[in-house]
Amino acid sequence: MIRMIVHRLLIGVFVMWGAASLIFLVVRAAPGDPATVLLGPDATRSQLDQLHASLGLDRPLGAQYLSYLGDVCRLDFGESHWLGRPAMGAVLDRLPATIDLTVTATVIAVIVGLTLGMLAGARPGGLLDRVVSACTIALQSFPTFWIGIMLVLVFALTLRLLPSSGVGSPQHLVLPAVTLSFPFVAIIARLTRTSLAETMRESYIQTARSKGLTERQVLFGHALRNSLIPVVTVVGVQVGALVGGAVIVENVFAWPGLGSLVVEAVANRDYTVVQGATLLIAGIVVVLNLMADLLVAQLDPRIRTGAV
Amino acid sequence: MAGITVAVEKPATTPRRARRPLLSRVPALVVGCYLLVAVVGPMVIHYDPVHTSLEDRLLAPGSQVSGGGTAWLGTDGLGRDLLAQIVYGARTAVLIGVSTVALSCLVGVLLGAVAGYFRGAADAVLARIFDVLLAFPAILLAIVIAGAFERSVLLVVVALSATGWITFARVTRGIALSVRERPWVDAARVLGVPGRTILARHVLPFTAGPVVALATLEFALVVLAEAGLSFLGIGLPPSTVSWGQTIANGKEYLETQWWISTLPGIALSLLIVNVGILGDQLTARYGRGRTD
Amino acid sequence: MTSTREHGRSRLIRLATTAAAGAALLAACTTTGGEDGGGSSASGDVTVAGTYPIESLDPHGAQGASTGTQLAAQEIFSRLVKPAADGTPEGDLATSWKAGKDVTSWTFTLRSGVTFSDGSALDADDVIASFQRMIALNGPNAGNFPGDTMTKVSATEVVLHSPAPDASVPGKLGTFYVLPSGVGKDDTAFFNHPVGSGPFTVDAFTPSQSLVLVPNTKYQGTKPTLSKVTVRNIPELASRMTALRTGEVDVAWGIPDDQLASLKSQQDLTVKTVPSSAEFTMWFNSSIPALKDAKVRRAIWQAVDFGTIVGKLYPDTGKAADAPVTSVVLGHAAQPAVTYDPAAAKAALTAAGFDFSKKLRLQFANDEFKPFVQAVVSDLQKVGVQVEPLEKEQAVFTEDLLALKWDINFQQLATPSYDAASNLGRLYTCAARRMGYCNKQLDGLLAAAGATADKQRRTDLYARASRIIWQDAVGMYPMSVSIAYAWNSDLKGFVPDASGLPDFATVRTGGS
Repeated sequence: MIRMIVHRLLIGVFVMWGAASLIFLVVRAAPGDPATVLLGPDATRSQLDQLHASLGLDRPLGAQYLSYLGDVCRLDFGESHWLGRPAMGAVLDRLPATIDLTVTATVIAVIVGLTLGMLAGARPGGLLDRVVSACTIALQSFPTFWIGIMLVLVFALTLRLLPSSGVGSPQHLVLPAVTLSFPFVAIIARLTRTSLAETMRESYIQTARSKGLTERQVLFGHALRNSLIPVVTVVGVQVGALVGGAVIVENVFAWPGLGSLVVEAVANRDYTVVQGATLLIAGIVVVLNLMADLLVAQLDPRIRTGAV
Repeated sequence: MAGITVAVEKPATTPRRARRPLLSRVPALVVGCYLLVAVVGPMVIHYDPVHTSLEDRLLAPGSQVSGGGTAWLGTDGLGRDLLAQIVYGARTAVLIGVSTVALSCLVGVLLGAVAGYFRGAADAVLARIFDVLLAFPAILLAIVIAGAFERSVLLVVVALSATGWITFARVTRGIALSVRERPWVDAARVLGVPGRTILARHVLPFTAGPVVALATLEFALVVLAEAGLSFLGIGLPPSTVSWGQTIANGKEYLETQWWISTLPGIALSLLIVNVGILGDQLTARYGRGRTD
Repeated sequence: MTSTREHGRSRLIRLATTAAAGAALLAACTTTGGEDGGGSSASGDVTVAGTYPIESLDPHGAQGASTGTQLAAQEIFSRLVKPAADGTPEGDLATSWKAGKDVTSWTFTLRSGVTFSDGSALDADDVIASFQRMIALNGPNAGNFPGDTMTKVSATEVVLHSPAPDASVPGKLGTFYVLPSGVGKDDTAFFNHPVGSGPFTVDAFTPSQSLVLVPNTKYQGTKPTLSKVTVRNIPELASRMTALRTGEVDVAWGIPDDQLASLKSQQDLTVKTVPSSAEFTMWFNSSIPALKDAKVRRAIWQAVDFGTIVGKLYPDTGKAADAPVTSVVLGHAAQPAVTYDPAAAKAALTAAGFDFSKKLRLQFANDEFKPFVQAVVSDLQKVGVQVEPLEKEQAVFTEDLLALKWDINFQQLATPSYDAASNLGRLYTCAARRMGYCNKQLDGLLAAAGATADKQRRTDLYARASRIIWQDAVGMYPMSVSIAYAWNSDLKGFVPDASGLPDFATVRTGGS
């Protein structure tokens, strides 16, 4: 168990380095000069040169890369010239909103998704299964922004039940979290259903049944626990994806999250913020995946004891 | 997109098709219709994305246009016919979807098979590449790539493939891992057949079923992701007709001229639902070697 | 029409019922449903929907020229001179100003008795220190004053020296804000609670999200009657419009024409448009062979039915432009309209030997202009001119713009100084090389206009310059832009601003 954690942490460090390097390459390969973005079209040559020097962009790429890695190791993510403040400060400012949104969407998705998946998977092929399958595919199939804007029109404009955008109160969280959870609900529901249906065919379930346990006892006592294993792994991965991947929802609801910060920073060629935010997101993803693995190990004794 | 692990049983061989209810053919039929529209539609309906007709802007479905025809599905903010946009958009969706899936599939299957079959260093490297790419939310990476470079269809395909290939690689790797232990592969090895040939003749064919199933699901995700990129105003050049662009163009009119966004949205949604069901069916038949 | 509308509504309802399931779940978790924070204007609270984020409050820094920072800075700090709502310069900290003989120096007399919000006095030293800070920080605003220096004459008098004659100094000073002396480069402590001499002070600031302003009790002018102004950033247009209609925000601007109808139909909203200094400007790259000939450029201009395009796409906020700068800008002089005549255009292009097989690259940067650009491309195609619209990221656009990597360039070009010197005088010279056009006669006129402070003479000179630019079709000038504002009718004294930077110091809330 300890070995596994250490191993995973080592991989995590590697992943952070890889992610940092990848994004370093992508933003620098992109056309567009940060100094031009900052100073606009009217800047003089000397103004540009001066800014290049102060941004460190006049040095060769390799030197920039090395000093950037060195700074990151010292947890120094640099100044954002665009925002006029430390890059990590700007990134951390966005973190609470991202966490609020991600956690709420995940809670909705897990509750609704598990319920739907269990309803469907308990009797595969039944009417309920078909209805749930159809619903989950439909949930996944409309563009997120379309659903978001429609929810705004219905609940904020027509019914005046909820605020249309922004942050500040739990009510502000409802629409973005629900919108964000839609595809997530579908993923969890489908996975739970498949996994449960598979588990229900296992021999120990047959044994349990033949012991005379009721279908309900079989389901909750035996099947569910095992069928949750793949669900936990996927939730881990998906939550990670939500941390930075909620860009569209953030846009529709003026939600100040990490994803939109990265997108703005890329547009402004604000390298330090892109790097800082990316590393933070990668770090969160690594930790979440690790947590999911630990949870799976708890659920599945074979993994815990190292049998697999 | 991620997190799909496949435990391969032997490919299903018994023909069950004859007993399948008619209803289950509907998805394949619908997807077929879309493909037909994508290929034939542009030849039947003429549409020039450059041509705008401001007299006819924001017409409701069924209205007469100034040229004398009828805009059966209405017009957009520049007076361009929506029906034609949906038809031409189908072509773009199919083009982008198929190219992205093909690219992801090619890269993924190749790397996955090599890693799974030869194991060792190749496998270790691939596993680390997975880890790094999975540390990025897939859509975020696509947005960063699509937002940073000059717009083109190719860019969108590359941006969406950047993480799309991972699933293929994972699945293929899993299959290759299990197939390489089979007796006939061992036999071939003993006979001195080169590794490359074994891979091509004895391992890759087993990946076909699950990969096709996966490809359909990926296709749906790609089409949806393109709509997302268009919403953010990045990716495709303005002259390309795509559902994503049309839906995004109509986002400001959702309350008053709902048809601009909604009709292509329904077209897209319908395709994705059916592709999704088809993918499920294929997964059920090949992917896990069991029936529903 | 009626039937489709019915259809639309029933869809909404169906959607509502399916979505209700999710919302019901959440309703259990949240406290009270419904009631939301914003926009109870009766209590003197005003919420403003910002179109652009406020990233920083430092008016001298990298964000100094951004709309968000300008909006904040003009409420928190004072300037020597500021543009009135219609664009004419008026004194803020300066009571009077006058140019030296050769217009290389401007003397400003400062208002006495002005204090900062912390009670300390504002004097010439603060002005000088602020100017030096702005230049030293090398932000975009510093670029307006290349080589300029500011010196103190007395405690109430400062002089701005420029290396070349510059008549547009008062206009350009609209982006120069005075901070207390001693503020450092990245002085986060100061900008968390900035000290200024503007009508408001900062109550709370979250970069790129919201800014809360409260009245500055030490303000020397008429103190604001509002108790609180909150500026919220809502990037998505649809969300901004919804927030305005639900009353979550009280003021929004930069509203597209197609959205105005539904806002106008709402009783409690006032909708108004105000002419701005911005103009749709479509330069030709005169340095490429295909567009070298003025006859070709004029013909292309003639081939586009700008009247219809503007009328259909911008019925409220657009007006056919009649000069390279808009009518609110000093130096505006109306030119004869270019009439739409595709047949004549085609003939002229053929006569000039225009190569119809070559595709022209039309670059632009913002999604919002896509429909306009596409309509132009469509018209040009009708006469056989092939144009490819290229939408570029801002970063790439600017770089390509300067490198002349385009054939036609679309920009919504504003003149924030309200002075043609910073538009015509700066961009159209041979030395500027901004659109590959070079005309010695034009250079002479522009230089002469920049070297005199006499308003009438400047207007005359710019009129002659405008005439050359217009006749030679250096670019196409299809439309001058108005900014559409919509605000809660409870607000009294709200003045739509021509720069898109409305001032809330004079706004009152109605009701009682």
